[in-house]
Amino acid sequence: MEFLLSNLVNPALDWGLKVLDAPAVRAVIFGTSIGGHIFVDVLLLLVIIYLLSQKSYKPPKRPLTENEIDELCDEWVPEPLIPPITEEITHETPVLESAAGPHAIINGKEVVNFASANYLGLIGHEKLLDSCTSALEKYGVGSCGPRGFYGTIDVHLDCEARIAKFLGTPDSILYSYGLSTMFSAIPAFCKKGDIVVVDEGVHWGIQNGLQLSKGTIVNFKHNDMNSLQNTLERITAENKRAKKLRRYIVVEAIYQNSGQIAPLDEIVRLKEKYRFRVLLDESNSFGVLGRSGRGLTEYCGVPVEKIDIVTAAMGHALATEGGFCTGSARVIDHQRLSSSGYVFSASLPPYLASAAITAIDVLEENPGLLTKLKANVALLLKELSVVPGLLIASSPESPIVYLRLERSTGSMKDDQHLLEDIAARVLNEDSLLVVVSKRSKLDKCHLPVGIKFFVSAAHTESDLMKAADSLKRAASLVLKGC
Amino acid sequence: MANLYVKAVPPADLNRNTEWFVYPGVWTTYILILFFSWLLVLSLTSCSPGMAWTVVNLSHFLVTYHFFHWKKGTPFSEDQGIYNGLTWWEQMDNGKQLTRNRKFLTVVPVVLYLIASHTTDYQNPMLFLNTLAVIVLVVAKFPNMHKVRIFGINADK
Repeated sequence: MEFLLSNLVNPALDWGLKVLDAPAVRAVIFGTSIGGHIFVDVLLLLVIIYLLSQKSYKPPKRPLTENEIDELCDEWVPEPLIPPITEEITHETPVLESAAGPHAIINGKEVVNFASANYLGLIGHEKLLDSCTSALEKYGVGSCGPRGFYGTIDVHLDCEARIAKFLGTPDSILYSYGLSTMFSAIPAFCKKGDIVVVDEGVHWGIQNGLQLSKGTIVNFKHNDMNSLQNTLERITAENKRAKKLRRYIVVEAIYQNSGQIAPLDEIVRLKEKYRFRVLLDESNSFGVLGRSGRGLTEYCGVPVEKIDIVTAAMGHALATEGGFCTGSARVIDHQRLSSSGYVFSASLPPYLASAAITAIDVLEENPGLLTKLKANVALLLKELSVVPGLLIASSPESPIVYLRLERSTGSMKDDQHLLEDIAARVLNEDSLLVVVSKRSKLDKCHLPVGIKFFVSAAHTESDLMKAADSLKRAASLVLKGC
Repeated sequence: MANLYVKAVPPADLNRNTEWFVYPGVWTTYILILFFSWLLVLSLTSCSPGMAWTVVNLSHFLVTYHFFHWKKGTPFSEDQGIYNGLTWWEQMDNGKQLTRNRKFLTVVPVVLYLIASHTTDYQNPMLFLNTLAVIVLVVAKFPNMHKVRIFGINADK
């Protein structure tokens, strides 16, 4: 046995020693004699040669076997095409049968309408109707294309110029749908990796825009400036790279989900301290706040240039449809080629643009509308200050009067049921139309639900008194047991 | 009427994250970068050539491991996230295995290892570190390891 082993080993050793004596072994590579390294070196060279001789291939996609297919089919449970029908879904919503002015017809009955954001009462205004009619006669209904593709008509340019002139900004840009203004403008500026600090109570349009932007979203407490400051401080302190990223603060002027007014002067102070850009949604404050209706900037005495991007829907105070974004010339110009809602959707029907111009004219000529609106809001707030079981959650000047439950039942759904009960009662018994905040499954806002009154300058004193009285009565009846 | 349409060959790689590796001169640049970093290490520190090769090998390991085998996805948003679960190495050449570029990138660490361990005279601890680096890099580059995350390393997301 031993003999056999040495018989095998000895020739190998001999061969090894012979190799070490070969003249090539005395070669010096990279300053080191090759000497005893030759085995490892040659081995690795062989590995390399072997690797290089391999043929390239594409990893094949293995087809599934019969068994696997059967298993997958068995495991699959189809999701229902429609959600299961619950009582809520079969619940009939009121049907509007006339224009949504301060008095409207619901289910064949005349009601006082507090459900439309018709702040200046311009719905059905004669001048607006006239301008719509003449624009319709001149241009027809649709503009037949996106703005960059045969869809630009002179009234669009006039409307943009008019809005910019009214607000005192260099330029503005029109969108064809109010909600899409936010979710097109936000992704046009915020990209992947950007830091976006946003109020937790913003409405769904903004939430959608933020989601589309793929930015890093940081929430702060609803309308809480301490929380905003802490958030900004934390971001700038802990992220050294933050200085090199684009940073935004996104706020609403009047929050649709709570009726609160954002303290813009404080936000501007913070933005300048921490060097952020501000994106402000003025949908509910344009034409409402400020001495001449120029929105939150005028209300807070902040020069409009300090706000980098302002968006607003024209479906509220201006009583037309569509939206606009305004800011510096560069901000606007950037959107003309990179904002999806502007580039890819058909432009605003010309008659709506012409109605918007007229609406701004009407607003400038009648400052009385704003004082009337303020008086109406103040009156309604005074009347509603003692509703049993309900609390006013909105700011005193906001035209959205927002009442939430004094004592929540603990679940948002039950709260909503209670409030819907109240709303149904006032509609059936007192012909008063109010809305309860609705949250879709996609809406991530967690603010308490409430009843909303959209006050209009066209509401009369008796409308407001009646509304307050009937709400008090319904609330005391429904909330008696709570 | 036969040749009305241009018959164009589709580009081999449509992924902006990896297509730069098919540009001419990339291999040369790669080798030159390694060589010059060796010169740099050698001139800045007073170590032996072998130590310098070890340093170059180890830093090559750290850099390429992070960028080829650890970071997933692409910095571009046009691809709509189809590469989000793949490392750079897996995206390369559209997932084709043992292509020229892949072979080149596999040979580089092996040659680096050869030089580094040869010039340090197969002495520990350099030998151990160099071997560790080359094993990790080469194993990660095996065709059999395509889209495989052994022991769940880097498997999240």
